[in-house]
Amino acid sequence: MVFKKYFIPRFIQYITVLLIGITMVFIIPRLLPSDPVEHQLNRMTAQGQYLDPAAVEEMRETLQELYGLKGGLFQQYLIYWKRLCTGNLGPSFTQFPTPVIELIKTSLPWTVGLLLVSLMLSWLIGTILGGIKVSFPNSLLTRFMEVFAMGMRPIPYYIMALVLLIVLAFVFPVFPMAGGYSMGAEIGFNFKFLLDLLRHAFLPILSMVMLEIGGWFLQMRNVASNIVEEDYVVYAEASGLPRRKVILHYIMRNALIPQITGLALNLGFIFGGALITEIVFSYPGIGNLLYSAILAGDYNLIMGINIFSIVGVSTAMLVIDLIYPLLDPRVRYQ
Amino acid sequence: MPILEVKELKAYYITEKYGRLYRVKAVDGVSFQVNKDEIYGIAGESGCGKSTLLKAVSGLLKPPLQVLEGEVIYNFGDDVLNILSLKDDKQRRQVRGARISHIPQGSMSVLNPVRRIKKAFQDLIRAHLGSMERSRFEEMVKKHLDALGLDWSIMQAFPHQLSGGMRQRLTIALATILKPDIIFADEPTTALDVVVQRGVVQLIKKIKKEQQNTLIMVTHDLAIHANLCDRLAIMYAGKIVEEADVDVIFNQPQHPYTLMLLKSLPKLGDKSIRVSAPGAPPSLIHTPSGCRFHPRCPEATAHCRRENPELLELEKGHRVACFLKGGC
Repeated sequence: MVFKKYFIPRFIQYITVLLIGITMVFIIPRLLPSDPVEHQLNRMTAQGQYLDPAAVEEMRETLQELYGLKGGLFQQYLIYWKRLCTGNLGPSFTQFPTPVIELIKTSLPWTVGLLLVSLMLSWLIGTILGGIKVSFPNSLLTRFMEVFAMGMRPIPYYIMALVLLIVLAFVFPVFPMAGGYSMGAEIGFNFKFLLDLLRHAFLPILSMVMLEIGGWFLQMRNVASNIVEEDYVVYAEASGLPRRKVILHYIMRNALIPQITGLALNLGFIFGGALITEIVFSYPGIGNLLYSAILAGDYNLIMGINIFSIVGVSTAMLVIDLIYPLLDPRVRYQ
Repeated sequence: MPILEVKELKAYYITEKYGRLYRVKAVDGVSFQVNKDEIYGIAGESGCGKSTLLKAVSGLLKPPLQVLEGEVIYNFGDDVLNILSLKDDKQRRQVRGARISHIPQGSMSVLNPVRRIKKAFQDLIRAHLGSMERSRFEEMVKKHLDALGLDWSIMQAFPHQLSGGMRQRLTIALATILKPDIIFADEPTTALDVVVQRGVVQLIKKIKKEQQNTLIMVTHDLAIHANLCDRLAIMYAGKIVEEADVDVIFNQPQHPYTLMLLKSLPKLGDKSIRVSAPGAPPSLIHTPSGCRFHPRCPEATAHCRRENPELLELEKGHRVACFLKGGC
């Protein structure tokens, strides 16, 4: 009962955010001065073919229907939702007539795999090291980590990614230069392919982990070093609790709360893709797809990716809201 | 043989900023003895080093707090312990909580906000008695809570669900469940309203009577001291300036600072305007030369500005640090 009271308003909020976000995705392209149907027709006539005006007119109508641009704005909006609910995001313009949903489906696993692994790795390592740093401020490992984190933070990501690529793939060709797997490799669930997959994913993951680890480390360190000063930690020390207990259940447990919020938020951002990483390493993910879609003005595809991203982030927010009372009893299901 | 003997204790907070050393002389040469079964009070304004003294005496030393000189010797009857010379942190932990315990200020943040109250008891008992059966643990805690007039149902609560007075009584229960020899109470009544204060003071009195432990009470509230303590020490800027039986302090105060403190207290039926001590307590980084009280002292002489008076026994059991009262 209490849970229902807590859940329902948040669920309503979630649905509202989705509605507004997806509506924005509908409206913004329609504010653009260019008309995709005319654009497509121009492209066809520009090839020099002669087209019968009646045929052009027929084609215009078909295209309008395909693109969901038929009828008044409100009618279009209804059709847009109807299509969305059946999982139809329309065809891609550049890779006509492949449906957008198909393109996203093939790219999404690459992105999710890449980002999930790098996010979890950097979060785990950064959080644990941050906790160690505060508990044992003089340990060599964490001192090194502090210098590393501080030094890495200001480096622009694309420069580091390029340096890694040049050094580890070009000068010393340990890892492949580009792609998600070797050209001509058989895709299947076997050891050889998995190894190939790992070899290709290694550099992109390394580049992201190296940069993100510092952020998680510093955040954990800052939060935990405040918690060390809290009365309940001092009192736990004064009660003679074992050091391990104080660190795990008093310091780390409390410092984890903001850490987990950050993790969940970042999990939501995965669906937007990692634009720069995927471009630098030519990785076949959502980011790369979005990039080419923007270059080619393929806005059915842009809209589709945006919708995924909106759903991802707002679902992550909802999940945070729902698990928060479990993490922090001061936030109650009320 | 006193149960606690503190000799010439110096505990400073030492920090370095831009290559300059800052030394906050929070406890600067403090000596006192506490006898078994007595209630010893330590009074003084905020920032005079009371809480630091407690930390140093219980061996809770964490940078930037450092003990430079002095000894703290506990004599538990069966065991004599110099807590500052213990090399092993584990040994200190075994003493803390079990033989010496703390009643902290009952603010919101003394109990871990994400753990149930029961866990706090479990952590404490497991740390000192090892793991025990659930039924034995529950029986032990229940008995103790009953004695303190607390209900078992609060064990399932989180700290934020309890009132300030309830939390304070809980911390008293936590501090006394293992029947420690010495209890340090650090401002246990601050931030509570007077009615709850009375309850807390009575509770402390009751437990002390039952368990026969020694209590060291630190607060700036002189009314609490008058009510509770056997002997009282007045601290000023990191030093004890006067120490005597409570009655003597209140009836025949000798040090000018003690006099000022007492003058500022309201009395029943007396409607004259109370005088507060002029000036503010000195910075503990740049302490005044000579007697630390001289900038605020109405009777300061040139001698006071130059030299620091020692804490000397004026008559039996009454020590004062002042040149005007026979100091040298």
